[in-house]
Amino acid sequence: MSGDMGCRDCLEKLDPYLDRELDPAEFEEVRIHLQKCGGCEEAVVVERVFLDQLRGAATSAVAPPGVRERLILRIRRDVGRAT
Amino acid sequence: MAGDAFEVEALSYLDALYRTALRMTRSEADAEDVVQETYIRALRHRDQFTPGTNLKAWLFRILTNTFINSYRRKAAQPQTTELDDVEEATLYRHMVGSGPAPGEPEREVLDSVVDTEVQQALDDLPERFRTVVLLDVEGFAYKEIAEMLEIPIGTVMSRLHRGRRALQERLYDHAREHGIAAARAMPRRGGAEMGGRSA
Repeated sequence: MSGDMGCRDCLEKLDPYLDRELDPAEFEEVRIHLQKCGGCEEAVVVERVFLDQLRGAATSAVAPPGVRERLILRIRRDVGRAT
Repeated sequence: MAGDAFEVEALSYLDALYRTALRMTRSEADAEDVVQETYIRALRHRDQFTPGTNLKAWLFRILTNTFINSYRRKAAQPQTTELDDVEEATLYRHMVGSGPAPGEPEREVLDSVVDTEVQQALDDLPERFRTVVLLDVEGFAYKEIAEMLEIPIGTVMSRLHRGRRALQERLYDHAREHGIAAARAMPRRGGAEMGGRSA
């Protein structure tokens, strides 16, 4: 199996793999390794759960009441547009 | 609100800009100031925006510049250690694993972490890692983040990787400490077949 990606290389590329930031050749290398390696495949599953949770929590907040109104007043005052 | 299309679209990103500013500054008052400055600059220099390109990315670039130039020094920094140690510890667990594949319990543990805990963990990340993680969760590509922060793309990848690992460690530990029974004595990740090379 010389030339195959090892677990360390695979795990180091998990972030860009899941973020779709690898070039096609690297993506394919990781994908093939994951098909063969249960441990790394499990790491992918855990990472997906974590990233979903992180994205959900980090993007759930909205601006509190009053922020939009004060912003629009400031825009009217400083830029002068009828926003 | 009878704004033109540019203003209306720009204002549609208010929530995203505000929550990012809040996590960057960790102060509601400063976050509001940063967001107001961002919109004032954007609307004054709207002629510099190329129609048809990504307005959200353009606004976030102004936001990060505003934060870095005016608020970064003011924002209290968390007392933190370098993330190199976290990185090593997590990778080590990746490689050595222990026992049978423990993925299902770990997933349950991570699932139990609530949003406020994630937000607190984000607040406690060192600023340079936090900023990259925040821009990533808003959906920007590595290249866009690199351009916003004027750092190499390799630095984006490194900070994102380390930031995520630190968050994952923190959230997992938090879940375990708060009595998630399934997590007891459970290795964080990996399985026996992950290679066995020690770091």
